[in-house]
Amino acid sequence: MADFPLAINLQGDYGYKVIVVDEANTIEEVINTSVDQIVSVLVAPFPEGTILRARVHGSDEPLDNSLRVADAHFIRMEALQIYVEK
Amino acid sequence: MALLKMEEWYDLARETNWTPSYVTEDELYPAPMSNNYDIPVETWETFDEPYKVTYRDYVNAQRDKDVGAYSVKAALARSDFFKNASPHWKALLALHFSAVCWAEFHSASAFARITRFTRSPGMRNMATFGTLDEIRHGQIQIYFAYEFLKHDAVFDWCHKSSKTENWIIISLRHALDDIAHTRDATSAAIMLNMGLELAFTNLQFVALSADAAKCGDHTFATMLQSIQSDEARHAQIGEPIVRIMVENGKKKEAQQLVEIAFWRIWKQFSALSGIGMDYYTPLAHRENSLKDFMEEWVIGQFGRTVEALGLDLPWYWDILKKDISNFHHANQIGVYVYRATEWWRPIAATSPAEREWLEKKYPGWNETYGKCWDVISQNIRNGDYEKTVPAAPPLICNMCGLEVTGVPGDKWQAVNHHIDIDDRRYHFCSEPCKWIFEIEPSRYKGHKSIIDRVFDGTIGPEPDDFYNYMGQSPEERGTDGYEYRWVDGYDEFDNDEPLHATG
Repeated sequence: MADFPLAINLQGDYGYKVIVVDEANTIEEVINTSVDQIVSVLVAPFPEGTILRARVHGSDEPLDNSLRVADAHFIRMEALQIYVEK
Repeated sequence: MALLKMEEWYDLARETNWTPSYVTEDELYPAPMSNNYDIPVETWETFDEPYKVTYRDYVNAQRDKDVGAYSVKAALARSDFFKNASPHWKALLALHFSAVCWAEFHSASAFARITRFTRSPGMRNMATFGTLDEIRHGQIQIYFAYEFLKHDAVFDWCHKSSKTENWIIISLRHALDDIAHTRDATSAAIMLNMGLELAFTNLQFVALSADAAKCGDHTFATMLQSIQSDEARHAQIGEPIVRIMVENGKKKEAQQLVEIAFWRIWKQFSALSGIGMDYYTPLAHRENSLKDFMEEWVIGQFGRTVEALGLDLPWYWDILKKDISNFHHANQIGVYVYRATEWWRPIAATSPAEREWLEKKYPGWNETYGKCWDVISQNIRNGDYEKTVPAAPPLICNMCGLEVTGVPGDKWQAVNHHIDIDDRRYHFCSEPCKWIFEIEPSRYKGHKSIIDRVFDGTIGPEPDDFYNYMGQSPEERGTDGYEYRWVDGYDEFDNDEPLHATG
């Protein structure tokens, strides 16, 4: 499937980054890709056992981790936050 | 024959106007270029600037300023100041000269346009001096920077930068084009004079001049002072225009023009002066922070001026009061980690002593911005230099052209504002940037940030395509100004050459 750019702000980072994922990726894979690119670069590693979730910026509800990008009705460069689930 | 005293002829000369007979008024002053805001020309003719000067006196005063500045330069030409200057100061000089020189020169065309198309003869007179001022400002700064070219090729960017598509230059050029180069004479005069010159030039030219003198760079300090004295004179064009607008039922229009220009230019100065004052000025000579200066000169002094003219404080004033403690800190992280995208050698300026100063001036800095620097610093200590450069590009604001940033670390707060038009997502770093876009979407929606250009195929997919597009050869891509030897302080030696940050 096609590349899809998303604007991601991972908890602790100073701003949004544009991360390119595949439309077939799930939200969980988006989270993992973001972690790979930002943790230990701008954000310290999270404690073991930390659960990260993603949500559309402005929403309080987390996205389903199994949801595929292609099915999420995102617009290109959709802004997502990846945050620590409490 | 006795000469007339200035007060006997000055007003007659500066108020001279005429009624065209070969063409109509509308042909001579087409609305898109002129825009009298439906105020009669007789009212525009009452334009009255506080500080008046004759051409003869102008020439004499400017000559004296040039003599002063150029003689200091000549006297210090043999000093090894630049060779001995720290990477801090070199970064500051490179950033200032390559961003400001061409911007000044471009302003000459804005003032010339104001001269030609204003309906007010008094303003025509003042804008003529403004045109000459800006030509001088462009020339003096390029000439002063030229001396450094033999030491460092980065100063080639003083001339080159405006012709590139570097992301920082796109940002600055877009802001200046928006307020000064694509507006009618009346609007441009208000935006340029009120929103840029009156509001902000003190920040870059007075504050920086004081820091330069403390650092021992008297050539730069004298040059900046000589420029600012001109700004103080021609910036006063804005005040009488705003008074005429307010007194003739056009307060809302004037208000909006000031609000658009002020925010657009704040974003640019936030990066230029914010990074310059809080990071690039060597710590030993750093006294006041950006926040200190903004609170006194802009939020205080300029705010009072705006209200005295009959306008309201901009609606986003409370947002500004928070922004002065945040935006430039976030952008400094970005400028450092994406340093290859800049043409100078950025410095981190977050050694332990500098972090202490930042914490003092911005309580909470260590728990927020400091957390990103903790990670960067540790990577450097581990020798993992590649990890100090994010693989993912930053999101860029579709108005100011700088990064969309929030607050990092323990008080993490993601900030994003957006609009969707024709299936395209436009992102903004702040409510005011979004507000400006929403006033006139057709004016802005065709512009693409550097990141838009990456993802729409304008820029090719290879890493070199990106730099080539921005006009940067491999030698012109920024590297750490201290070669990573700053994380635990600057007292290190390499081949008996000390690295120092004292000036």
